[in-house]
Amino acid sequence: MAADWEEIRRLAADFQRAQFADTVQRLSERNCIEIISKLVQEKKLDVVHTTDGKEYITPAQISREIRDELYVHGGRINIVDLQQIINVDWVHVESRANDIAKSDKGVQLVLGQLIDDTYLDRLAEEVNDKLQEAGLITISELCKNYDLPGDFLTEELSKRLGKLIQGEMDQYNRGVIFTPAFVARHKARIRGLFSGITRPTPVSSMIGVFGFQEHLLYSVLEELVNTGRLKGSVVGGRQDKAVYIPDIYARTQNTWVDSFLQQNGYLEFDALVRLGIPDPPTYIKKRFKSNKLLFLRAACVGKTLVDQVEASVEEAVNSSTWTDIQPILPSCLTDEDVGMLISQAMRNTNVHSSARILGGTVVVSEKFISNCLTLFDEAMQQKAQKEVKNNPVFLISENDVKQASALTESSALSKKEKREAERRKKATEGSGSVKAGGGGNAREIRIRKTKKKGRKEEDSDDETGPSQQNRSKQTEAPFMAQEEIVAVLEERVSDCPEEILSELAEHLVRPLNKAYQEVLRTVFMSSSSSPSGANKKKSMKDLQEEITNLYNNIRLFEKGTKFFSDETQVHISKHILKTLCTDVTNILVNFLAADLMMSAENPSSITTEVRVKILSKLSEETKGPLMKLHNSLNGKAIEDFLTNIESCAEVCGFMLKKGDKKRERQALFVHRHALTEQLKETEDPALVLHLTSVLLFQASTNCMLHAPGRCVPQIIGTLTGRIPTEQQQLLSAYQSLVVKQLVSQSQSKKQEEAGEEANKEEEQDEEGRSVRTQLINLMPQVKDLVLSQKKLSVTEE
Amino acid sequence: MADDATRRAVSQIPLLKTHAGPRDRSLWPLRLKEEYQALIKFVEQNKEADNDWFRLESNADGTRWTGTCWFIHDLLRYEFRLEFDVPVTYPDTAPEVAVPELDGKTAKMYRGGKICLTEHFAPLWARNAPRFGLAHLMALGLGPWLAVEVPDLISKGLVVHKEGQRETAE
Repeated sequence: MAADWEEIRRLAADFQRAQFADTVQRLSERNCIEIISKLVQEKKLDVVHTTDGKEYITPAQISREIRDELYVHGGRINIVDLQQIINVDWVHVESRANDIAKSDKGVQLVLGQLIDDTYLDRLAEEVNDKLQEAGLITISELCKNYDLPGDFLTEELSKRLGKLIQGEMDQYNRGVIFTPAFVARHKARIRGLFSGITRPTPVSSMIGVFGFQEHLLYSVLEELVNTGRLKGSVVGGRQDKAVYIPDIYARTQNTWVDSFLQQNGYLEFDALVRLGIPDPPTYIKKRFKSNKLLFLRAACVGKTLVDQVEASVEEAVNSSTWTDIQPILPSCLTDEDVGMLISQAMRNTNVHSSARILGGTVVVSEKFISNCLTLFDEAMQQKAQKEVKNNPVFLISENDVKQASALTESSALSKKEKREAERRKKATEGSGSVKAGGGGNAREIRIRKTKKKGRKEEDSDDETGPSQQNRSKQTEAPFMAQEEIVAVLEERVSDCPEEILSELAEHLVRPLNKAYQEVLRTVFMSSSSSPSGANKKKSMKDLQEEITNLYNNIRLFEKGTKFFSDETQVHISKHILKTLCTDVTNILVNFLAADLMMSAENPSSITTEVRVKILSKLSEETKGPLMKLHNSLNGKAIEDFLTNIESCAEVCGFMLKKGDKKRERQALFVHRHALTEQLKETEDPALVLHLTSVLLFQASTNCMLHAPGRCVPQIIGTLTGRIPTEQQQLLSAYQSLVVKQLVSQSQSKKQEEAGEEANKEEEQDEEGRSVRTQLINLMPQVKDLVLSQKKLSVTEE
Repeated sequence: MADDATRRAVSQIPLLKTHAGPRDRSLWPLRLKEEYQALIKFVEQNKEADNDWFRLESNADGTRWTGTCWFIHDLLRYEFRLEFDVPVTYPDTAPEVAVPELDGKTAKMYRGGKICLTEHFAPLWARNAPRFGLAHLMALGLGPWLAVEVPDLISKGLVVHKEGQRETAE
């Protein structure tokens, strides 16, 4: 019991203790919120409530929590994530984060993320791992992987380069990080590769083939080249066109160039280009500063070669021969270069004036050329003599039959030459101007040929062959065609190439022609001056006789025309003018032309144009009357002509005797005789009719008649009443037959030869056959008409 | 009559087992021990819930208990003395708690300041005897009476807050 009470006492004490123990002070939630909001309002307390409103948190706590979270998340956390974790308004989180980033150097705020140094260190370590594995890492790749801005990464990583990251950043391209091993490997590869290169190689192609880092490659390459590890040089900087040229290549190039120049005495630019030297001339200039090289268009030539050329040129000049430079020169030189070289050599040796270049490569001394000229002296003399003798033969006009042969000859010649020229032209086409003369010649000849017709008189003397220098309007007699000269030269000058000869000939043609002209003139003067006086007188006399005869005839004929009606008279007059009068005029003109050395051998061959040309050459006093005479030929009246010719004859110094009766009769007789002779010969019905009628006319009227065949009917008409009727009938019958025959003839020939009167009826149709037989039958009778009468008249006389 | 919080609090108070009154010499100490344990538990509970509202102490044989109780109204603490005797018929009969200071000020009181608990508390106690003890008396009897009567009395001006009251009480 006592124990119970004891226990009760203890419990009572416990109870008292329990009652006097401190009570836990408790505030209700809303009291708390009220209190805190008041405090916050009065700025006595700086706390922030969480987004769910259940908790208050001090900014310091936020900072601490942010740090904690940052630590928990491995040093990198997004502020948005932080806000959710801390459960505080985003503004507070951000401001605290900013504060932290500002105050703490190890923490940075990047793209809304807090990142501390440990994270960056770890990142750097990771990067290092990757770098060690791959050898190189690009910042851009890292940017993608870590979702961080490149600048930031570059900065942070470059801070840690060499410490955490065993590598280096490319100086030129900051976006790449290399390991020393990678660089070393790269370097080794580059070293190996470029050590092995023996010819210029574009660096860009190496990058493409071997996958080098461009910038690393350049820097390494530069370093290697600068330290002398690589014997070579990079040309073209750091661009795409950069080319690595190994020294060994340059050296072999140089040695090749040196030895080539030494051995051959020249350098061809093309060859250098093939060797890979981009600009040969400057290269050569640089390389051979001391040597005096002669630069040509496509090559350069050493001193020895120039000397050689000079020596041979000099020798040629001094020994007054020629020399071909071609064998001395390298075959690769172009014609142009050869020309340049030779002209240079000639300038150097000062023989420019005493030598000339032929065929591009041959130097010929002027003396040699003049020697060549002397070769022709003899031939020239002979030819001149011949020419003078033949001079008349070679006078005017292509119509001349004799001339024809000469013409064909000349044309053949010219054709040949043309061919030759063409051949040459083709051969040397585009190879400079030296040989262009050949083509030019051909053209000249052609021009000449077309002009020939236009100016026969002027050029008539040149007819024998084409001449080169005929542009000047001098009258020249060519000496020899180029081919001939070549042939002569070939005989005399041995061992010359043909081409040179032809060119030499070209050179010679002009001086030769000139010389020939001289010779010809002297020869002509000497030969023609003495005999011509007598000749002239004699010919003058003959001419006077002839002209007088013709003049009288014309007058007689004119008389004859008076028997006809006006119309017929005009026809006949025209006919006379065209035939006899023209002849007279021609004779006169030719006579005058002879004074000018232009006369034609046969005056009848002179045509109207020729006449005009000659006239234009004549002196003023003679020209006027003769021009009138010439014009009157185209007129209708014979009287005009007669008056004109009288004045002309006076001017020309001829005496025109008017015929007396005796002379007239003589003329009549001669004329009739000629006609009858002709009649006896002929078998042509038309001609028979013509002659018969004319003779009958003369017999009946005692007047000479010179009429065209067209006027036969009129003549017969005038005869009516003057001859016996049966004769008349016979004539008209015959005439009708002739007409029939002509008509049928013209029909059968389908007007082809309709205009022609006297045509042989070889192809007569059957109709005409009877007419023909009749004609043949009648012909003797008709002939008899005249012949018998003639006999009569002859006996009468 | 009691609110939920009170009910919960009461349900936490351990029930008593011994059925003995002060006259029962042999069992009374057991009963008294249980009473003390229950009270300690109840006080601890109250303190824990920041709801401490009374002080009690008994005489040596545990038949007469005296102490104070207080009530906070409008952040003012009103404290009253209290006293009661354990009746000989205890635990069948509940003790009559008296607050002498309030004698004559309220109708729900008997002469001598004994609070009137008959209406609700007496049947509850009778149903639970002998498992209810003094702790239940405080929690279900005096506690609710104070919560009802004190604010009423204060509003009537019958009870006035006295400065320094708390200090003296402690």
